[in-house]
Formats: sequence, C-alpha cells, structure tokens
Amino acid sequence: MRFPGLVENEILKFARQRRFRVVVLILVALIGLIVFAQSRGRERLLGRKDWHVETQERMARIQNWLRDGRMPESSQRWARFELDRLRYHVDRNVNPDAVSGPLFVRGFANAASYLLLPLLAIVFASDVVSAEFAQGTIKLLLTRPVARARVLASKLAALLLAITLTVLFGGIVAYLFGGIAYGYGGWEAPVLTGFRYSGERLDPAAVRSIELWKDTVLAYGLAWFAALCVGAIALLTSVLLRSTAAAMGTMLAALIAGTILPRLAPSWEAQKFLFVTNLPLPDYYSGTPPPIPGLTVGFAAATLAAWAVAALAAAFLVFVKRDVLA
Amino acid sequence: MSTAATLSGSSREIVLSAENLTKRFGRREAVSDVSFDVRAGEVFGFLGPNGAGKTTTIRMLVGLARPDRGRVQIRGLDLSRNFEKAMGHVGCIVEAPDLYKYLTGRENLLHFSRMLPEGATERIPELARLVALSERLDDKVSTYSLGMRQRLGIAQALLGNPDILILDEPANGLDPAGIREIRQLMRHLASERGIAVFVSSHLLSEVEQTCDRVAIIHRGRTLAAGPVRELVDRVASDRLRLIARPVKRAAEILAPFGAAEIAADDRGADEGAIDARIPKERVPDALRALTAAGVDVFAVERSLASLEEVFLEVTGGETV
Repeated sequence: MRFPGLVENEILKFARQRRFRVVVLILVALIGLIVFAQSRGRERLLGRKDWHVETQERMARIQNWLRDGRMPESSQRWARFELDRLRYHVDRNVNPDAVSGPLFVRGFANAASYLLLPLLAIVFASDVVSAEFAQGTIKLLLTRPVARARVLASKLAALLLAITLTVLFGGIVAYLFGGIAYGYGGWEAPVLTGFRYSGERLDPAAVRSIELWKDTVLAYGLAWFAALCVGAIALLTSVLLRSTAAAMGTMLAALIAGTILPRLAPSWEAQKFLFVTNLPLPDYYSGTPPPIPGLTVGFAAATLAAWAVAALAAAFLVFVKRDVLA
Repeated sequence: MSTAATLSGSSREIVLSAENLTKRFGRREAVSDVSFDVRAGEVFGFLGPNGAGKTTTIRMLVGLARPDRGRVQIRGLDLSRNFEKAMGHVGCIVEAPDLYKYLTGRENLLHFSRMLPEGATERIPELARLVALSERLDDKVSTYSLGMRQRLGIAQALLGNPDILILDEPANGLDPAGIREIRQLMRHLASERGIAVFVSSHLLSEVEQTCDRVAIIHRGRTLAAGPVRELVDRVASDRLRLIARPVKRAAEILAPFGAAEIAADDRGADEGAIDARIPKERVPDALRALTAAGVDVFAVERSLASLEEVFLEVTGGETV
C-alpha cells in the first residue's frame, strides 16, 4: 500500500534536483549539434546529379545481373533486396541515398548506446544513495518505519523510470531534430538486418529485410536495456562508495576503459565478460563486426543482465546490513 | 537492569529500554554496557561530553547501527527483529536536523508522511502551528535558519504520532531564545501529550532545567542514572550556605563540624556568608553551637550543586 508513495518520493527528489534538467539540456544540445553538423556536411556531397536518373540506372543494372543468372545465390538475395529498396523509394519519390528523420533516429540508437545513454544513466544512478548520505537525510530515511530493502527498492524503481524516460526523450528529440533536417517520413522503408559473422566471414544466411520502424524499436530497446544495466551497476557503486563524485568517477573510468580496451588489447578474449564490452548491443544486433570473436547480441545481453543482477544483489545486501554512521 | 531501574521509582509505562548496549569500532569499544529505561511522559536527559558515545548510542536506539551486544526494546518490541513496527512508535532527530534543502518545508513533511501509515498528512497543518512554522512552510528549507530547521525536524519527528521522541543535542547552535523555545516544546510534549522525550546534551545546565531523569555517559559507559534531583542530592546534600554575624567567629565554631569557608567577598566584613559542608545529621548541633556562642544567624540554605558539579564528582575519579 505504501510502496507507490515511496516511489513518488524518489521521483520527486529526481525531478527537483538540478541534474534532471541538466540531462535534458545535454540531450537537446548534443542531438541538435549532431544534426546540424551532419546536414552541413551532406549539403556539399549531394546534388551533383539528378537522383531519379541515377536510381533508374542502378535498378536497370541490378535487373540485368539477375537476368544473367551467373550471380551466386547469396548475392542474388542481396540484389533482390536492393532492387526492392530502390523501388520503394522511387515509388514514393524519395531519394534512396537521402537520410530521413527515422534513419537518423536509427543511427542515433547505435551511436548513443555505448557512451551517451550509459553516461546519463550513471549521472542519475551514482547520486541515488550517496546524495542521501551527503545531505545527512539518510538518517531520517532509514529511521522511518519502512524496511531498508523497501527504501532501496523504491529508489531502484524511480531510477529505472528516470533512465527509461531519458532514453525515450532522447529518441523523441532525435526524431524531432532529424525530422527538421531530413523530413519526418520513411518509417516503412525496408532495411537489412540479421548479419552474422562466422569466424572472419559474413554469414548471410539469416539476413532479412524488415521495416525501418521495427528495426529502430529493436535497436532502441537494446540501448535502453544496456542503459538499465549500467544504472544497476552504478547504483551499487553509489551504495558502496557513499559519495556521488567517487561513484560517478569510478563508473566513468569503467566506461572509458571499455571503449579503449578492445582497441588496445583486441587479443585478450576474456574482456568479453566485462560489462562495458557488452554495452553496444545495437551494434552487435545490426551486425557490426564484434571487437572480440564470439560476441553476439544474445551473449552480450545475457552478460549485461548477469552483471546487473549481481550488482543489485550486492547493493541490497550492503544497504540493508551496513551501519549508518555518516 | 542497573541503577536506572533502582533509582527511578516511577510507575509510568516504560516506552524504550536499552539493555547492555555495546558497540565496538575495530578494537575500541565506543559504547559499553549502556542500559536505561525511558518512561511515558518524562523528559529523559542523556548527558555526556562530546565523544562520550551519545550519538553512537542514539544510532543504536533508532536502528541506524547494530549493537554488538545488548538490545533495544520499544514498547516491548525488539528493534532488530521488529524494526518496522518498533520504529512506528519513534520520532527522531539524529545529530543534526538534516532535511531536503531543495524542497520546501511542506514538501519535506509530505515526503516523510508518505513513509507512514495513512493519516500523517492530515497532521501537517497542526504540527506546523505547534512548531510555529505555518508562515514559512512553503519556503525552501535552504532559506531556513538553524532554529527553524530544528523545529521542522521536530515536526517531522511528530508526524507519526510517536510514543517516544529522540532528540540528539537539540540545543546545538541555537541562540538562547531558540533554546528556550525547544525546551518549552519538549516539556509541553511530555506533560500535555504524554510523550517520552529522550534528549542528549553536553550542556549540563540545559539538562538540569529540562529533564526529569538523567543518565550520565562518559567514555562509553553510563556512570549514573536517576531523577535529576536524586542525583544532585547524592553529591550536594552536605552543602550549606549560612549568613551570620560575626562571620569570623561563626566560621571558627563551625570548623569542627566540617569544612567551613567564608565567602571570598566577605572576608573582612562583620556580617557575611559561609559555605560549609556539614553532614545532614550534624546540622542541628552546629546551629545550636552557633546560637549558644551568641552568633546571629540570618539564613541557612542548602545549596544544590549544579549537574556541572555532579558531573565532575561522578567522573572526576576517572583518569581522562
């Protein structure tokens, strides 16, 4: 009966602190900047030749290859997809090489998944418990007739909600800004998905075409899941270190190490068990060659989930058992 | 159960009892075997110098720290086993009245009322009036003075209609007017509402003026516990002050009965004050001797030692 009230308390504290507004501003400013810079760059590249003519030529070339029959099976599948894709755009009088608002959103999901969204999750999570220690309010919070586990559970619920809203908000801002620059239509455009690597080679067996909106929802869902897992781990550091600055610093160092490590030590295979290596879920899903062999989207998601569950278990244990002497 | 029980003599219901509380930090024992009972409707003082173990004891009373030995019972409920139910009877301020500074007073009270059973929200206007904060309730706590924060903290502690109010050094940092307000509030809560008020302090005069009973803690141990009067009597019962003429002659006559000293200002005077320490049962004889010698005695009063002296008396023997 009282749990919703506890969550309401935690949401109130999130909303009234300055960091929530800062995160909103960061998202708006950053996405605005990306859209602006990208559209500036493209203006110079495009517009040399009429795209109608060029697209018609490409479609004719592909049809010739297919009629030829000498193309290997895997390439035929690709060629048929490309033909469908071009036809879709020509039918709607849309340049197939143009970026659309929805495509920008799709690209943003990948780009934001391994640094920006985890970073925002950390900004929220590292504060959740340590701020109460810093303000001294932990002494009141834990001397009310509510078990400590319920207090932390309400904080976790509010944190997950805040991360979810942030991811949603990021997607909406990306779509709004991307739409201004590239137009709002194009959600039904077909895209390829399901690329897999067996060893060093691309395995095209599972490649299929789906509509862009489905692809985007999937990629965004994965980015959201990764951000939630990072939030859970950051919550543990907040519980353990009881200092916002220390918790945030630790998590940032981990994130940065995660982006550097695969490049500096690509042969160290055990790093695929680190949580940071598994953060770019949307990349693994859309078929970017993984930095470490054996990293699939399923493996990465399972590893992240295991980290999150272990971190939460440790956070609850410590929070419930430890003396409050601050 | 130690001195607290034997000295109390009160029959009112025990609301909180601490039994043999012990807390170690590494090798150091910060609190050793601390025991006392707090009863309904009384103001119970917990007196000791800074670093004596007051706050550590309070942290154990409210479940912030786990005692290594001993237990806390609130209305008969074991705190470690029945935390939620037991804490439902407790309102407290530990160390400082820390509330959310970026929220208003009202938002703070709403926040903590959501952690209580239904009905706490309705008490907010009444409690705001009680602590004289009605007018500033919608201002952010960051704009409050320390005294206002202290009062808001007390309002917060009273939200759940507690049976016991635990206040840690509530006079700290307050001006004399603020201290008086808090003192009156504590007396009011104890006598009008029957709440047990447990208050820690290093200000001895404060405890003497506010409390019914007191426990003295020094270096993690309770040295004495009992009614403030009784405790004072224990060390002060042989202290007398007389006004006599001629004062010099009076001092000579009193000397065989115990220590007698003319007050510093009156050494050269004819009529003056004498501070004497004469055991209670010898006082009548001493007075008869004075009268027989033709000394005029204008006044005899028992001077009560302050807790200051009690404290020195009780702790003085220990090497610090």
